[in-house]
Amino acid sequence: MTLTFIMVGLIIAGLLVWQAENLWLGSAKWLSLISLVLLSTVFAVFVLNNSVANEDFVQLQVLTRVAWIKTFSIEYALALDQLSILLISLTLLLAFICVLVSWREIQHHVGFYYFNLLLSIAGIIGVFVAVDVFLFFFFWEVMLLPMTAIIAIWGHEKRQFAALKFFIFTQVSSLLMLVAIIATAYFHLLQTGRLSFYYPDWLLLDIPLEISQYLMLGFFIAFAVKLPSVPLHSWLPDAHTQAPTAGSVLLAGVLLKTGAYGLIRFVIFLFPQASVQFAPVAATLAVISILYGAKMAFAQQDFKRLVAYSSISHMGFVMLALFAFNTIAYQGAIITIVAHGLSSAALFALAGMIYHRIHSRSLTDMGGFWHSAPRMGGFALVFASAAFGLPGLANFIGEFFSLVGVFQVLPAFAIVAAVGLIGSAIYGMVLFQSSFQGEPKHVITDLQLRELLICSSLLLLLIAIGLYPMLLLKFSFGVM
Amino acid sequence: MSIASSSQPLLTMTMAAAILPQLIIAFGITLALLLVAWKRSQRTIALFTFFILLMALLANISLLSQPVIQVTQLLKVDGYATFAFNLILIAALSVLRMSHCFLKTSLEVHDEYYLLLLLLVLGAGVLVVSDHFASLFLGFELLSISLVGLVGYHRGNQYSVESGFKYLILSATASSFMLLGIAFIYSVVGDMSFNARLSSELFEQGLGLFFQLGLLLFVSGIAFKLSIAPFHFWTPDVYQGAPTSVTFLMATISKIAMFVVLLKCIIAQRYLLLESFQTFLISFAVTSMLLGNIMALKQQNLKRLLAYSSIAHMGYLLIVIIVTSEQSLEFTWQSSLFYLAAYTVANLSIFLVISLIQQHNIRSGNQEDITLLDLKGLFWRAPSYGFLMILGVLSLAGIPLTMGFIGKFYILSQATIANAWWLISILIIGSGIGLAYYLPIIFKVFSNVVITSPEDKKIKSHFIEQTLIYSLITLGLILGILPDMVNQLIRS
Repeated sequence: MTLTFIMVGLIIAGLLVWQAENLWLGSAKWLSLISLVLLSTVFAVFVLNNSVANEDFVQLQVLTRVAWIKTFSIEYALALDQLSILLISLTLLLAFICVLVSWREIQHHVGFYYFNLLLSIAGIIGVFVAVDVFLFFFFWEVMLLPMTAIIAIWGHEKRQFAALKFFIFTQVSSLLMLVAIIATAYFHLLQTGRLSFYYPDWLLLDIPLEISQYLMLGFFIAFAVKLPSVPLHSWLPDAHTQAPTAGSVLLAGVLLKTGAYGLIRFVIFLFPQASVQFAPVAATLAVISILYGAKMAFAQQDFKRLVAYSSISHMGFVMLALFAFNTIAYQGAIITIVAHGLSSAALFALAGMIYHRIHSRSLTDMGGFWHSAPRMGGFALVFASAAFGLPGLANFIGEFFSLVGVFQVLPAFAIVAAVGLIGSAIYGMVLFQSSFQGEPKHVITDLQLRELLICSSLLLLLIAIGLYPMLLLKFSFGVM
Repeated sequence: MSIASSSQPLLTMTMAAAILPQLIIAFGITLALLLVAWKRSQRTIALFTFFILLMALLANISLLSQPVIQVTQLLKVDGYATFAFNLILIAALSVLRMSHCFLKTSLEVHDEYYLLLLLLVLGAGVLVVSDHFASLFLGFELLSISLVGLVGYHRGNQYSVESGFKYLILSATASSFMLLGIAFIYSVVGDMSFNARLSSELFEQGLGLFFQLGLLLFVSGIAFKLSIAPFHFWTPDVYQGAPTSVTFLMATISKIAMFVVLLKCIIAQRYLLLESFQTFLISFAVTSMLLGNIMALKQQNLKRLLAYSSIAHMGYLLIVIIVTSEQSLEFTWQSSLFYLAAYTVANLSIFLVISLIQQHNIRSGNQEDITLLDLKGLFWRAPSYGFLMILGVLSLAGIPLTMGFIGKFYILSQATIANAWWLISILIIGSGIGLAYYLPIIFKVFSNVVITSPEDKKIKSHFIEQTLIYSLITLGLILGILPDMVNQLIRS
């Protein structure tokens, strides 16, 4: 009930915010901030209150289960476990960041903008809690619509092309997933005599390998597009670059993670045998993504595009770790998910702040910002070094664990992937040097209070996880 | 077996009750003719037509829970036919309002328009319940001839004559093809009733070239009406040239009726047992899906774009027929009727907005043709119009939250059960291409406009239209989220 309440609450808040902006200029951002605070509190209280009763959500705890479309015995079923709680917390945290970074940036159709923002957050939360696979697919698509609108309406100069590409890539791949979903449900009908889209039912299925490998592939492609993995990544640089700052933060911080979440929940747990069989291919794709992303990031002249390519590289680590099938790598993947969510969000937020000051994303227009904005420079340095995995920051823990885990199973892959870390150090330094060092090209104002708040909260979390990883490692996230 | 020789009375009261909606419409047509002789007034005839259609709709809704009734040899009323006729009547009712404005602009009294509309509905009503090639042909001709009249109705329009003629000639050709096909089939089977089941041995022996040729001719006649590729060439021109409300009629009523009768005929006669027939249908479906979507990509005129998209949609629907089997008949009916319902609601949304923009354009002295540029910034100028448009387009594109998605889900489920992987992959490719023209429409609706003079850009609309728009928005969303409300109605 509470989860439904949070999602419906976000939608209603969105509608209110939209109307309020028409009546009272400037109220939208405050109202969305307030509603986010309230709903996050509800979520936190709910999780804390129920964690004892549900054994810390180690197993998937089904909270709501109502019949929805009886013709296909589709249900409205929601559940929580540690993984989804973690990802929802990340989503809500980044939702605050999104509202804060949009504070000054969005100048027209403000009310509708915040409506879309809250709607996409509701959709993302839905993705993380749905355990009826049809419902999951429903949310999976619904979260795309407001996201596409955010890119297409408030984005930069080539926004419509980017939004179109983003939507077509995800939509076509998710149609493949839909076919796989239907096929699995009808396989359930064949095997048990009952049509079911209910995830816990599916876990009990025993699907022969020759069928399950195709079913798994349907799911895998959809999530590989979202993650993204080479060769299905080409939507990402465009979408990230053209989106407004909050759009990029949300895309990099959370939307990519829905791909990782899907891989964990619907590929690896649902089709374990087929995944093991597929692991060499997936690991190869992951390693290619790591190296290719790093190489491409190095070659970019556009601040946001560079960060976008680095995301491809980092999500490669996640995929590689997931397909190593051991606990250490799995935990590494989860920490990388969180750490990348925070650090890439921070870098995109910085890109937005710079864009706000000099109206350019090109690195050639930047340089020497350190003189006029040392505080911003300091943050940029830390976030860039977080991105290339400096010890003491969260990303290091994630990548270290991933590589250690992978090395036990696929040593060759781990060695090649480790080279990617060097690449990330190079592009990280290129990013920092060309924007903050060298001859001063612009004199810019340093961080304001609001911006300080954004940066320091993200930094604090990165350091906290980096220095005390047990914060996350004490949870098992569904693996025994 | 002739009709006269049967010992039972030709028409009992239960039979008459079963075709009551059609009878009401037929009676209404006669009354309307008398009404024209008595008093010629735009208002009266519009209200009268509304009343007749409403009565028919009410009578038809009461039939939904009836068992299957055979009405003479010619007609058979079942739940599916009733549901389809409901859709047709609802579409016709909304057309009344849609055409109201464009008819109001000239000083003439447009009795003929309403008469033709009623005739069209009667034709469609006969088609959906027909159980015999004779009644099929009767309905087909009623539908075609009244549509020809309607297509060319707007005499002042520059495309009127062209599109009217195109439709007349091609439609006449199609019906003669179909008639010849029926004759060929009759020459082999010796019975014109759909119930005349061909025995399985006959299928195994192969029915000979003559029969297959007849079947092909018959189906191509219907495919012409459904604008399935390669019988689609008239579609874009006629869609563009016809008045918007008539285009809507062509897109919905004519397609629902033809599709239902095609499905009925194919299921009853078990044509799908013929390999060659299945191959034909598959090639039709594949070409329609690909060609419709690809051709729509570069269209700037909104109605032309919708014409091509309708070709693609009919291709998707053909999949349902191709993969149907003896065991899944009920599912087949559910899928196709749900898809048709979703298609109708989506088209209704889009065409309503088009006709309202057109009306606004005419009032401010602009041209009548609606291009994509006319949609620019619609969402900011008139939020409710923009939202309805977006909802309709999303539904056509098959995105969740809309009925179109559930319709696509039905088709995909059915194709998956039948293991029709090739058709599924073509469908996915087709919908991928489809997004490349559906989304730009939405982006246009959202794009920024510089409002020069507030009076000029602000779109005003009538109270009835506002209610219609808001109710369509709610209907679209509710049925998209809770499709069970429609599913429950579709049963035999």
